[in-house]
Amino acid sequence: MEEQRDEIRSFIMDIRTLPTLPGIVTKLNSLADNEKSSIQEMARLVSSDQVLSARILRLANSPSYGFYRVATISNAMILLGVDVVKSLVLSSSIFEIMEKSVLGLWEHSLGAGVAANIISKRLHLPECEEISTAALLHDIGKVIIHLKLEDKYVDILKMTEEKEIPMHEAERAVTGTDHAEVGGWLAKNWFLPEKLAIPVTCHHDVESTVVHQAKTAVVHLADILIKAAGFGFSGDECVSCIQPAAWKSLGMTEAILAEIVEELEDKLIDAKNFSLEIQSADEQQL
Amino acid sequence: MQRIPFSLAEPGMVLAKDVVRGDNPNSPPICGKGLELNETLIERLRNLGVQSITVEGHPVSMDGDKTLDELLKDLDRRFRRVADDPLTGVLKDIYRNRIIRSMGE
Repeated sequence: MEEQRDEIRSFIMDIRTLPTLPGIVTKLNSLADNEKSSIQEMARLVSSDQVLSARILRLANSPSYGFYRVATISNAMILLGVDVVKSLVLSSSIFEIMEKSVLGLWEHSLGAGVAANIISKRLHLPECEEISTAALLHDIGKVIIHLKLEDKYVDILKMTEEKEIPMHEAERAVTGTDHAEVGGWLAKNWFLPEKLAIPVTCHHDVESTVVHQAKTAVVHLADILIKAAGFGFSGDECVSCIQPAAWKSLGMTEAILAEIVEELEDKLIDAKNFSLEIQSADEQQL
Repeated sequence: MQRIPFSLAEPGMVLAKDVVRGDNPNSPPICGKGLELNETLIERLRNLGVQSITVEGHPVSMDGDKTLDELLKDLDRRFRRVADDPLTGVLKDIYRNRIIRSMGE
């Protein structure tokens, strides 16, 4: 079991086995680390790859962020922040695979992004966009497990259904690790900031983190809400328990939760439209 | 009442909620609730980029024509592993009430 865990870990940490990461990533990272570089410089770099820009704008205009008509990369950078755009650059290549390979996971992730946006805005939390991005990425580990260990992924789905256990427990039983941990490795490998990496790593165990606990709690709750709504398919249709630590850390009440659900159900119609539009756009491209 | 994608709007439907602009949800409403839709109005709203509207009753069958019973059964199925958890129970009740409300009238 340990061996398998290490094997998967070395897979993830070895950037060569990752699905084509654009070379722009490294350049963007070094620009972002340099205090003297401007938003315009970074925007120009990203804009130089047209396909990539199109994908980022598509995500930036998705209902997950609640902005509409973000028309340029530099607008996206200013509205969403450099960190968010950076992670969008990284995840867009993964997402493209996700749209095609793991049916329903894309919708689940998109929906979780929408839910996280509504929760964090309702609770007036800082850095709403980062929280939405973390929620959008929370199951990215599943994509990697699916990509690298396809036959095991089938076993995991089977075990989840037959044994009536949460998917991450089945993953632990089959591979010795789970999608949250894999997502965390990936985030580290991609040099994502902690405020994105920790919610991804701890979204099934809010209590395990003190740093960025509110963000983690939002992602945890968003994941549950979107399953409760029956939107998309994450590999496991069952809702898992809302952890008391998450409830407490957000200061959640029944009344607020009801308001959030009400708003979420409205927004999910838009998200469905968005997802359908993307699918038909992809079909046209083929 | 039911929220529907705007492409499914038809004359005769009655708005159950104010309609706001698609590109700026915080703007003042462009159409008040209680209004009955007609061809001209639908055309105008479409030109304004409205994505979805909420109408009275349950005029459009989506989700594969599920009945109230089926929807509640689906809900029970999704919550089957957490039936005894108090916090998650709160969420389930919210959804149950919502489903009953949305299928009513």
